[in-house]
Amino acid sequence: MKFKPGLPEGNVNVSHNSPGKEFLLLFAGITAILLSAYLILGLFIDVAVNYISPELEAKVFKTMSYGSGEHQIENSDKQQAMQILVNKLQQCTDLPYPLQVNLVESETPNAFAFPGGKIVVFSSLLDSVQSENGLAFVLAHELSHFQNRDHLRGMGRSIVFTALMSAVTGAGSDLTRLVAPVANFSQAQYSQHRETMADEQALAIINCYYGHVGGATEFFETIAPLAGNKNHTSAVSHYFSSHPEAERRIANLKKLADEHNMPRNKTAPLNATLSANTAE
Amino acid sequence: MDQLIIFALLLSLGYFFGRSAEKRHYASIQQREQDFINMPTTAGKYVLGENTTVTKSHLVTGSVVISVDYFKRILASLRSFFGGNVRSYETLVDRARREAVLRMKESCPDADQIINIRLETSSIYKGQGKQIGSVEVLAYGTAVYLAP
Repeated sequence: MKFKPGLPEGNVNVSHNSPGKEFLLLFAGITAILLSAYLILGLFIDVAVNYISPELEAKVFKTMSYGSGEHQIENSDKQQAMQILVNKLQQCTDLPYPLQVNLVESETPNAFAFPGGKIVVFSSLLDSVQSENGLAFVLAHELSHFQNRDHLRGMGRSIVFTALMSAVTGAGSDLTRLVAPVANFSQAQYSQHRETMADEQALAIINCYYGHVGGATEFFETIAPLAGNKNHTSAVSHYFSSHPEAERRIANLKKLADEHNMPRNKTAPLNATLSANTAE
Repeated sequence: MDQLIIFALLLSLGYFFGRSAEKRHYASIQQREQDFINMPTTAGKYVLGENTTVTKSHLVTGSVVISVDYFKRILASLRSFFGGNVRSYETLVDRARREAVLRMKESCPDADQIINIRLETSSIYKGQGKQIGSVEVLAYGTAVYLAP
């Protein structure tokens, strides 16, 4: 056998396709699968929350409380004053079960609906509102979340999201980082939609309780300048945010109030117990 | 959001740098293969040709470690979701194999032949999921020098 030098023509050991195209195709496929799984499971959750009675909810979440005990201000005058306000506001809703106000020491002005019938209020919220009407609107907003069972929907969706991500890609992998923004986007859009609904119902609640909607936008007007600075850093960030922008909420509330001829009368000041917070 | 930007940056960095590095590497491989075309390299045990009088022989090795870029790794992890050929790694091992053989040849430019060639592949960072993987290819054989 004679040796004849030569090299093979072409390379059969590598695929001659475009990696960019392959990437886009696979990425689109995975995103579509995960997104549809997420949306379908989300719909299941919407159905399932109707079958979770308040009693069951209270039972399941009895042992859960927000944050660690040391930040919680228990049995304070402020908490009781808010509890009275919530009880009065509740008469304007058809919520059949008792709600409990939890006051938590925090510098972030915020409040949210926590499963098990708890409204968690951060202490600096009291500094962000000037009148009782302003506070009542925020509390009414949380009442609306309970009425719509958004607290369960939100929690259910988070669980589905986390479970999907870790089941499919392994928690914290690079693939999760790739797909997560898409799911976050859809979650944010859903959440913003629920928030707007809760705003609208809260408006109806305080209109029922006070006979006017003065002070409804107070809280948003306080936080709008703070949030505004943050939003300027990224033009797209509000698409990924769980709440609509404060300015848009204010505009929406004003529009709704005008449409339904809800008057905006003079607001009632916070009572002494609640406003004492500012002096501290 | 910031995470997404960092991710996109890493991805495009991997894509463009990885691509240009691969292109340059292939050009160099093809050139050097052409240069060494007249040195027979076989996996057989025996010297090729009529003249089989060996005056000298010794072990020659050539090894190379090539890392996969970020883009290729993500592409492979996407691929592992659906199954099929992991095409993004094909060029990686192909380049490593050819480079290792070339380095082995370059270690003995005066040899007449290299016989009994073997190739070994091992992956570095094996089992450490979060690391960027690399592949090592070792080529070894016997360089023989024939009587003139």
